[in-house]
Amino acid sequence: MDMYERKIGDVILALDNISLSFGALKVLDDISFDVRQGEIRSIIGPNGAGKSSMLNVINGFYHPQQGSITFRGEKRKEMDVHKAAASGIARTFQNIALFKGMSTLDNIMTGRNLKMKCNIFQQAWYWGKAQKEEIEHRQKVEEIIDFLEIQNIRKTPVGRLPYGFQKRVELGRALAAEPEILLLDEPMAGMNVEEKEDMSRFILDINDEFGTTIILIEHDMGVVMDLSDRVVVLDYGRQLADGSPDEVRSNQTVIDAYLGVSH
Amino acid sequence: MRIERDIIYIILGFIVLMVVVPWTAGQLSDQVFFNWPFFFEVAIGGLLSGVMYSLIALGFVLIFKASGVFNFSQGAIVLFAALTLVGLHGLGLPMWLAIVATMGVMFLLAVAIERLVLSKLVNQEPIILFMATIGIAYFLDGFGQTLWGSEVKVLNLGISEAPGFYFDGQILINDFDLFAAGIAAVMVVGLGIFFQYTRIGRALRAVADDHQAALSVGIPLKHIWIIVWTVAGLVGLVAGIMWGSKMGVQFALSLIALKALPVLILGGFTSVPGAIIGGLIIGAGEKLAEVFLAPMIGGGIEEWFAYMLALAFLAFRPQGLFGEKIIERV
Amino acid sequence: MIYREAGVYKSTYRADHAIFTIPQDRWSMIGIFAIAFLLIPAVGSEYWLGAIMLPFLILALAALGLNILTGYCGQLSLGTGGFMATGAFSAYKLATSFPDMNIVLVIFGAGLIAAAVGILFGIPSLRIKGFYLAVATLASQFFLIWLFITFGWFTNYSASGVISAPPMTIIGDIFVTGPQATLVAKYLFTLSIVVVMALVAKNLVRSNIGREWMAVRDMDIAAEIIGIPMLSTKLKAFAVSSFFCGVAGALWAFLYTGSVEPLAFDVNRSFQVLFMIIIGGLGSIMGAFLGAAFIVLLPILLNNLPTMLGLNIKTDMISHMEYMIFGALIVFFLIVEPHGLARLWSLLKEKLRLWPFPH
Repeated sequence: MDMYERKIGDVILALDNISLSFGALKVLDDISFDVRQGEIRSIIGPNGAGKSSMLNVINGFYHPQQGSITFRGEKRKEMDVHKAAASGIARTFQNIALFKGMSTLDNIMTGRNLKMKCNIFQQAWYWGKAQKEEIEHRQKVEEIIDFLEIQNIRKTPVGRLPYGFQKRVELGRALAAEPEILLLDEPMAGMNVEEKEDMSRFILDINDEFGTTIILIEHDMGVVMDLSDRVVVLDYGRQLADGSPDEVRSNQTVIDAYLGVSH
Repeated sequence: MRIERDIIYIILGFIVLMVVVPWTAGQLSDQVFFNWPFFFEVAIGGLLSGVMYSLIALGFVLIFKASGVFNFSQGAIVLFAALTLVGLHGLGLPMWLAIVATMGVMFLLAVAIERLVLSKLVNQEPIILFMATIGIAYFLDGFGQTLWGSEVKVLNLGISEAPGFYFDGQILINDFDLFAAGIAAVMVVGLGIFFQYTRIGRALRAVADDHQAALSVGIPLKHIWIIVWTVAGLVGLVAGIMWGSKMGVQFALSLIALKALPVLILGGFTSVPGAIIGGLIIGAGEKLAEVFLAPMIGGGIEEWFAYMLALAFLAFRPQGLFGEKIIERV
Repeated sequence: MIYREAGVYKSTYRADHAIFTIPQDRWSMIGIFAIAFLLIPAVGSEYWLGAIMLPFLILALAALGLNILTGYCGQLSLGTGGFMATGAFSAYKLATSFPDMNIVLVIFGAGLIAAAVGILFGIPSLRIKGFYLAVATLASQFFLIWLFITFGWFTNYSASGVISAPPMTIIGDIFVTGPQATLVAKYLFTLSIVVVMALVAKNLVRSNIGREWMAVRDMDIAAEIIGIPMLSTKLKAFAVSSFFCGVAGALWAFLYTGSVEPLAFDVNRSFQVLFMIIIGGLGSIMGAFLGAAFIVLLPILLNNLPTMLGLNIKTDMISHMEYMIFGALIVFFLIVEPHGLARLWSLLKEKLRLWPFPH
C-alpha cells in the first residue's frame, strides 16, 4: 500500500463533552475527540449510532445541549451554520442534497457563493466586474470538474445523473468552497468496487494536494482502515474508542458492538 | 390528543385581545358603539359565520389530509354542487331526490377528476398539483355556469332566517346560523370518527403521508382518491346548501373559498379540529374587527382582516394551530 | 441540421456564459428586434399596437417579475396584482406631486416604491413556506387593494373616482401618455423599457444571485448549509420581482389604459400572471413572454372564433366557456409539459437539430 507522507499538524477542531438530545432521545452522550490539521479522521459505528448527528453538530445544523466546540482557537457552545460555511467547513450528505433543477456546473458554482462579492446591481449590469468575477470562479470550478473527471456531464441537470455521479458532484460543490475541513457523510454508500476506488482516490488526493482535513463517516471497514489516520467509534450515541485504525480494530468493545454483543 | 401549552395561550390571548380591543375602541372613539350585549351579539354572530367558513375549510382539509393536494377548487366545487342541486330541483325533482342526485353527480365528478387529472399527475410536486386544482376551479366555474346559467338562484330550506331573540331578548341570534352550526358539528364529529377509527380512514392517512409507500402496501390509490374527492364533494354540497340559502346560489360562492384559506392557515392544513377552531377564530375576529375597529380606520376591512389575523398567528406557529410540525432533516 | 449546436465551439468561458451561444440564436434575436422595433410600428394597425402589443409587453414584464419570485426562487406568490397596483399608484402620486419629473424617473421611482413594499411583505417568507406563503401573499394582495380604494390620498381625493394618468413627454415634444401620445410612441417606449428589463432579468438569473435563488427553490436547507443567506436571498427575490411588477403596473396605468384604478389589479390579475408563467414555463425568461402572448391572444381568439365559425353565442356564455377552456388548458399543460411552452420550445429545437433527418 502506498504510504503518503502526510503532514499532520496541530489540533484544529476539538469537541468536548458533546451531548445532544431530541426530547427524550439521547443522540450523543458525552462525546469528546479532536481533529488534527491535515489528517483523515473517520467516525464509525453501527447504524443509528449518531454519526450523522455528530457531523450536523460540527457544521452547526444541530445545537448540542452540552459541551463545546473549539474551532480555530475559538471555543463555542454551538456552531452556527452560516459561520461554519464562512470559516471553512464544508460537507456532503448521506442523502444527496443537490439542487436538482440546476446543472452540474451550476451546482458546483453555488459552492463558490461565499466568495462572490459583487452586489445585485453589478450583477444586473453584468458586463464589467460581475462578468470578470463569474469567469474567474468558473475557472476554479472547472479545475474541480477536471479533478473529479466529470467534464462530460457539466451541463446535465443533476436530477438526471446516476447516483454515483451525483455523489461526485456533491463532493465538487463542497470542494468549491475551498474548505479547511471537509465533512463527508457516507460518500461511498451504494457504490460498487470501482466507484469506491475512484472515490477513495479522490479523498486521498484532496487530502494530499489541497491539504484539506477530512472527517469521514463510512461503513466499509476496508476503506476506513486504509484511508484513515485516526478513528472514532460511536455506538448508541456513546464513544467506544478513539485511536489509530489498528488500535480500534483490535479493541474488544468495538468488536462486541459490531457483533451485536450487548455491553 | 395532547394539547400543547402554546395553543392554549394563543387561544386565550386571542379571546382577551378580541374583548379588550373593542372595549378600548368603544371608549376612545365616537364612531364605535360598544356595550356588552351588542358585543356578545356580534361575537356570537361571528362565531356562527365562522362555522360556515369551517364547513368549506373541512373540504380542503379532507383532500389535503388524504392526498397531500391543496385543492384550490374546493370553492368551485361548492358552487358547482349548489348549482346542480338548484338546477335539478328546478327541473322538477323534489328536494330530497335532488340532493341524492347531486350526491351522485359529485361522485361522478370525483371519478372524472381522478381519471383525467390526478392519475396523470401522480408523482409530480405538490405545487404542480396545486396549480392543476386552480385549473379545475376555473373549469368548474365555467362549466357550472354554462350548464345552469349565471343568474342568482334562490335556495330555500324552510328554515327561518329571521333573527330570534335569546338571552332575555337582549341578543339577536340568527336561527339559521344556529342550524348551520349544528350541521357543521355533526359533520366534524362524523369525519373525525371516520378518519381515526375506520379502515378506510387509516388508508387515507397513509396515502397523505406517502403515495408510494401506500401503494407498496397494497392501498388502492385510485379508489382512495375517488372516495376522498367524493366526500369532499359532499361536504362541499352541504356547504353549498348552507351558503346558498344564506346568500343565493351565485358565482360569488366560489370566492367564499378564498375566505376559507385563512382558516386553513390558522388551523393547520391537516387538522379537522383545526378547521373548526380556525373558522371560529376567523369568523369572530373578522366580525368584531369590522364592527369595532373598522370605523376608526376607514371601513371595509373584512376583505383582508382574516388574512392578516392568520398571518399574525403564523408568526408564532408556522404550521398553524394544529398542523403537523414540519421537521426538516438532512 | 439547419439549426444546430454542433460545430459551435466556444473557446472562452465568457463565450460559454453568453445569453445566445449559437449563431442562429443571435441572428434570430436580431431579426426579432428588427421586427419589433421597425416593422411592427410601421405596419401595425391601431388594434394591434394598442390592444395586443401593449398589454402583451406589459404583462410579459409582470410575468418576468413573478417568474423571478416563483419560478426561480420558488416562493409561490398570489400577490402580483397588489404590487402592480402599488406601482401604478406610486407613479400617479409621483407624477402629480412632481409634475416636472421625467416619465422614466416616475416609472422607475414607482418600481422602487413597489420594491420596498415587496420587501416588507416578503419578510414572512423566512418562516412560512409553500402554500402557507401563497395564502400570506393573498393578504398583501387584498390589503394593498383595500388601501388604494379606501384612502383618497392615493387618488388625490378625486370626486369621480376615475383618475387619468397625466400627459407626459419623454423627450422634447414627444408625448407618451395622455391624449396627445401616439400609439407608436407608446409602443416604442414600452418596448424599450421591457427589453432593457428583460436583459436585466437575464443577467440576474445567470449570475450568482440567480443560482442562489434556484438553490433556495430546490433545497433551501442545503442552500443555507453551504452559506447562502436565506433571508437576504428571499428578500432580494421579492424586491426584484416587485420592482418588475411595479413598473408593469405603472406602464399599465399610464401607457395602456390611461387610467389608474385598483380593480385592474385585483386577485384575478394575480392569477392571470400566475397562469402566464405556468403555461410559459417556470424558471424561464423566454417562458414569461410565451405565456403572456398565449394568455393575451387566447381570449381574442375565443371571442372571435364563434363568429368565424358562424355560431351565435351570447357574450356571457362565451366568457363562461373561456373559463372552461382556460382551466382545461392549465390542466393540459401541467400534464403534458409541466415546464411549459419554454420546454416545448427547447424540445422543438432539439428536433430541429436533426431535421430533416429522422435520427
